Amino acid sequence: MGKFVPTPSCTVGPFFPAHYFGPNDNDLTVTSNAAGASSKRAQGTKIYIAGTIYEADRVPRWNSIVEFWQADASGHFAHPNDPESSKADPDFMGWGRRASEDDGYYDFITVKPGGYKDPLTGLVRAPHINVSIMGSGLMRRLVTTFFFPDEPANAGDPVFNAIPDAKVRERIILKPAKFPRAPADALCYRLDIVLQGEDETPFFLD
Amino acid sequence: MSARDAIEIDPPYDFPGYKSTALRAPKQPLIRVAPHPLEIAGPAFSRSFAKESEADLTTWGKSAPLGEKMILVGRVLDEDGKPVRNSLLELWQCNASGRYAHPVDQHNAPLDPNFLGQGKVLTGDNGEYRFVTIKPGAYPWRNHPWAWRPAHIHLSLFGNAYAQRIITQMFFPADPLLPIDPIFNSVPDPEARQRMVCKLDLEQGIEEEALGYRFDIVLRGAKSTPTGV
Repeated sequence: MGKFVPTPSCTVGPFFPAHYFGPNDNDLTVTSNAAGASSKRAQGTKIYIAGTIYEADRVPRWNSIVEFWQADASGHFAHPNDPESSKADPDFMGWGRRASEDDGYYDFITVKPGGYKDPLTGLVRAPHINVSIMGSGLMRRLVTTFFFPDEPANAGDPVFNAIPDAKVRERIILKPAKFPRAPADALCYRLDIVLQGEDETPFFLD
Repeated sequence: MSARDAIEIDPPYDFPGYKSTALRAPKQPLIRVAPHPLEIAGPAFSRSFAKESEADLTTWGKSAPLGEKMILVGRVLDEDGKPVRNSLLELWQCNASGRYAHPVDQHNAPLDPNFLGQGKVLTGDNGEYRFVTIKPGAYPWRNHPWAWRPAHIHLSLFGNAYAQRIITQMFFPADPLLPIDPIFNSVPDPEARQRMVCKLDLEQGIEEEALGYRFDIVLRGAKSTPTGV
């Protein structure tokens, strides 16, 4: 145990500043408001992920904050905890954020992440996206992980397989879909996030 | 092992004192991926995410905002006491009248045209940060009869790893609304609760101009294991 005791979490509440969402904060392929103000696009297959956030009784939940955090297309992070961080795509930050709209809709443009060997455990991670959800009525962030369909590496992924029930695992596999708002050159996936109730999204201890 | 394994530091997701948790807390138990953190890397923010001017919330408008000017200083450390450097810290708060400059806030208190209530910094080499702001007011909310939130400042930190991400609220010492605030009291351990209260630190203020307060923040270890709730 460490010398110092961590500060407790507290709800984000309803008033998270709208100005904290930059115009491209939900487009991870653009780094214009991140490091270096680059106009280059991230490498990899462009994807569009969208869905609806629901609270109890399938009521769409607006004003939820959703954050994405993922590896680049080759499975690297621009972070010192990645021993191969020098190989990370300089035009990809891997982080994005947006608030859900009045009808609970959220969406992100990003690239398909690569899989990688976790440097801490040596276990192979399937391509995945870490997703955090915050909002009023949520005491702490909720974390889940999105996985890709038809991905052989899912079978060995330690996070995916921490969920004992295969039916529940299905709820965090992205589903091919079409959206009018998606960029024409993006592969599209849908995944709804159900905070509570039937088909509840599996969330992980954080 | 994180201290969060041993002590109930964080509030439970389902907390009846805060009504809307009943609609949003998951009913299924959270899944443990122990003994591994979900991810050991975390987003790294460059200086462009927090301009120097964003540390002073009192210079946003054409003139000074109304209210009691204050300086908020502190350090961000991890559980081993090591400084968390170069880490994005976002802050937001209501104005001195208890009103947020946010479309969702319909409380009948005046907006201050000179106060937006939003600030950002990257922590320094010793994990230190400093904001110039005004003391936020208390405000009523509809959670229960006579519900008033004590003065508080919201803080969002990314740390240097995914496990270190935290959003919390900072309260002020000796506030008579603290004992009746369900959000403050949702933290089960009374000692942990006190770690959300800042301390008066006059000498961090500005003589004849601003009061000083200190609020140190401890993030769990970057490689600590997931914890129970």
